[in-house]
Amino acid sequence: MFSFILRRLLIIVPMALLVVTLTWVLIRLAPGNFYSSEKKLPPAIEANIKKRYGLDKPWYQQYGLVMLNIVKLDFGESLKYQGQTVNEIIGRHLPYSATMGLLAYLLALAVGLSAGIFAALRQNSLWDHGSMAIAMLGLSVPNFVLGPTLVLVFALDLYILPPARWGGIANLILPVITLSAIYCAYIARLTRAGMLEVLRSDYIRTARAKGLDEKTVLLKHALRGGIIPVVSFTGPALAGLLAGTVVVERVFSIPGLGNIFIQAVLNRDEPLVLGIVAFLSILIMIFNLAVDISYGFLDPRIRYE
Amino acid sequence: MIKLAAFRRTFAAISLFGIAAILTGCGASARGRYFGKTVAPTDNILRYVSGSEPESLDPAVPNGQPEARILMSLYDGLVEYHPKTMEPIPSLAETWEVGPDGTEYLFHLRKNGKFSNGDPITANDFVYTFRRGFKPELASRNASLGYYIKYSEAYNSGRAFVKDSNGQFLLKKDFSVGDSSAGAETHDTLGPMSDFHRYLDSPERLTVPGDKKELDKFLEDDPKLKAAVTGKELVPVKAEDIGVEAADDYTLRIKLYQPAPYFLGLLGHQFFRVVDKNVVEKYGNNWSRPENIVTSGAFKVETYRPYDVLVVTKDPNYWDAANVKLDKIEFYPLDEQTTILNLYKAGSIDAQYNHTVPAPWNETVRQYTAEYSLHPEVATEFYVVNVKRPPMDNVKLRQAFALAIDRDALAVFRKTLKPLVDMTPEGIFPKYEAARQKIYAEELTKQGSTLAEWKARKYDPEKARRLMAEAGFPVQGSAGSYSSPNFPVDKVSITYNTAESNKAVAEFVQAQWKQNLGVTVPLENMEFRTFLPLLNKVDYNGFARRGWVGDYMDPYTFLGLYYSKANEGGTGWWDPKYDKMLDDANNTVDTQKRFEKLARAEFYISQQQIIIPLGTSGTSWLKKPYVKGMYPNPGTLHTWKFVYIEPDQSKWTTNMDNIMNEDDPVVTAQLAELTAKQDTLENSQTASPEKMAAADTGK
Repeated sequence: MFSFILRRLLIIVPMALLVVTLTWVLIRLAPGNFYSSEKKLPPAIEANIKKRYGLDKPWYQQYGLVMLNIVKLDFGESLKYQGQTVNEIIGRHLPYSATMGLLAYLLALAVGLSAGIFAALRQNSLWDHGSMAIAMLGLSVPNFVLGPTLVLVFALDLYILPPARWGGIANLILPVITLSAIYCAYIARLTRAGMLEVLRSDYIRTARAKGLDEKTVLLKHALRGGIIPVVSFTGPALAGLLAGTVVVERVFSIPGLGNIFIQAVLNRDEPLVLGIVAFLSILIMIFNLAVDISYGFLDPRIRYE
Repeated sequence: MIKLAAFRRTFAAISLFGIAAILTGCGASARGRYFGKTVAPTDNILRYVSGSEPESLDPAVPNGQPEARILMSLYDGLVEYHPKTMEPIPSLAETWEVGPDGTEYLFHLRKNGKFSNGDPITANDFVYTFRRGFKPELASRNASLGYYIKYSEAYNSGRAFVKDSNGQFLLKKDFSVGDSSAGAETHDTLGPMSDFHRYLDSPERLTVPGDKKELDKFLEDDPKLKAAVTGKELVPVKAEDIGVEAADDYTLRIKLYQPAPYFLGLLGHQFFRVVDKNVVEKYGNNWSRPENIVTSGAFKVETYRPYDVLVVTKDPNYWDAANVKLDKIEFYPLDEQTTILNLYKAGSIDAQYNHTVPAPWNETVRQYTAEYSLHPEVATEFYVVNVKRPPMDNVKLRQAFALAIDRDALAVFRKTLKPLVDMTPEGIFPKYEAARQKIYAEELTKQGSTLAEWKARKYDPEKARRLMAEAGFPVQGSAGSYSSPNFPVDKVSITYNTAESNKAVAEFVQAQWKQNLGVTVPLENMEFRTFLPLLNKVDYNGFARRGWVGDYMDPYTFLGLYYSKANEGGTGWWDPKYDKMLDDANNTVDTQKRFEKLARAEFYISQQQIIIPLGTSGTSWLKKPYVKGMYPNPGTLHTWKFVYIEPDQSKWTTNMDNIMNEDDPVVTAQLAELTAKQDTLENSQTASPEKMAAADTGK
């Protein structure tokens, strides 16, 4: 178990470096730069800018510096936002995304799990078909449609909720619902499928044969095995949610990491893009590791070598 | 859409969820005369959407409009923009004088100017601010705005003076280096004399690149120069050498290397707004962070949450604090049009910046005349033509394509564009336009044409087809089925940066050319930063979309785009004759005569048809009727100390279309107070020079 975790932790470093290298190459291939605008700059001013940001150095020195920064976990200063470090920017905007993402995931868990379990217990009933139909709808309506529709109704027609921006709890309602919709649907479907499979398995029959009451059978035995697909989905989903989701943050103008990331790419803000990519890749790898570890607790059949 | 509307209605009908009570509470005033929820705030705070997240709160660094809108509230300059016309009005400089040949400016500063930390603002602060702006290490993208200041370009580009063995500096006039402007002799002597003033007033020195490699390259082309410079001592141009001087604590002198009549108008730009030396030196790169920042404007930073909100609050230290009416401004850094409109409709914001109404909403929103502004801007939309690549190197062909677009129809289609056939926007520079009318009539008579014929350039498909034929690409067929089989469509395209509006216009123009010339020009769209290098290097085929926003209120901000060999026009066109015409105009101090000369230059370049003008941009933004003192000026830059919230509904704005002619007693009184001294000075100046001198010494 310990050596398994250690191995997985060690592999994060080269993986992150690889991801950042690829991103670096992609940014360098993209035309344009952070200081270009409609107004063409005199060559002298362009030279001043290049010198100031070290862009006049040979590429391997610049690349070396990037790699060194990653290892030090200090991504340097943003090109676009003068005097702000990348670490500071990530640290500042992560909480917005994390709050929203966590709330959305909790909502998705609450709704998705209960809907899934009930659907599985009453298989082929009206409840089952109804909830799965809604889940299907949740999966197929993209959040850039759902978000504006909710805004249209609640903010612009009824004037009861703010249409955008960060602020109080009222500001959170629409984006959280929009964000959680697809996860609700996923979790409901995964739970249902997982539960159906588990409920038919031998050990459940054994548990029932032992004379355990239905509640214990369900919650102690069936659920643990039934939600394994949900758990494996949770890792990457949570990492993605915590780190921000571009579309919802754009639609509701939430100052989260996803919003910043898109802007950074459009602005060709190299250190910021690299910093966020490195941060996200590390985050996702750690979450995946956490998920893998949690399997062992949920399913006694899984062992780590 | 229908489904959605039905859904909305049903939803509203089933508002039995207890929301009904809230609805009747706030929904009542929400419909009808005004667009969305319209309730005057009681807290005297303006909530304004300022565009994308500001790069920095350091006024020297960012060069975008979103920053300009914010920085205008935080920093004060020698002059401020007139809230309606954007002409310079006195601010920290109470009065100023301009020397007779237009190269020297003497500013008389107010004695009560203060930074937000209470430090007095003196001429030395301005000297510091200007020198810092040109510092190569700062790498400001705005620096070229101030290149008229003597030796500022040399300092900013790391150039050096050349000193001979006698300690004498080589002079520029002895070597005609580079462009045609060889630096006319200037002798303006305003205010007290000093050694530095004498140095500034002496003939312009020669400057050469300070970098060894660049110097060699520079000298290679000019043997005479090489002989003169070799073996001489190179003295780098320092910050202290540029043409700004504190004649005394409250008198600032600025020396230009050539007259630039619009220079005063430039000084409202954030680049020239004053910063506190002590704070900048103390904190270095971090001085403009919210915890360190010290400002000079009507407002100061209260809270700053990037990508969320910047709250600025009225600064009691501001010299004109008595006239600042808002307690706070909340700037929201948003640039998503739909989101902005949603916030506006929901009553969460009071006003927004320009071009922010999404196209599908145009029809609806323009009915709300009390809120919607559509006024001409100091901005144009056009297609640049790559004159270097065939077939568009043929001027007749360029003219044909320009004539084959129905601009009136385009304006109806695009809604926020006014038809334009000239290089400069229409309805923005009335005095210039009057002069131009006169000159064009003259020039056209010489050519045996008329003004009416010239104006028909707005749309003349007949002539366009004739020109096509003359260019060697005859148009065959009849109306509805024209074709031009010779024309190489694969060698041209309309390249534009991805935006809904750019796409719509490109498709419109494409259809026009198809219909009138029988040519289907392919469209190519690109992400903004991918598109820019193509434009700057003139590396596109045929046509590329361009918009240009003037930096200051003078036609030169548009005409100067094609000045000099390294011009930023993006067309590949350069003509020394045009440069000469512009130089000549700018060396003319008399405004009327200068405009006439500029008009001749515009006439000259218009005939080259290196661009295809499409329209003058319109402001297209909304403000709630209770926001007053905020005008649709040509640059949509609001002088925040004029803006106020009017709780009395009978005084609300009723018609935006007429707002520029309406007299708001509050604004008028404030303006009169600000400009009184300068007006008196200028009037006496025109009356008699002696009086002016007397008025000056009397201060």
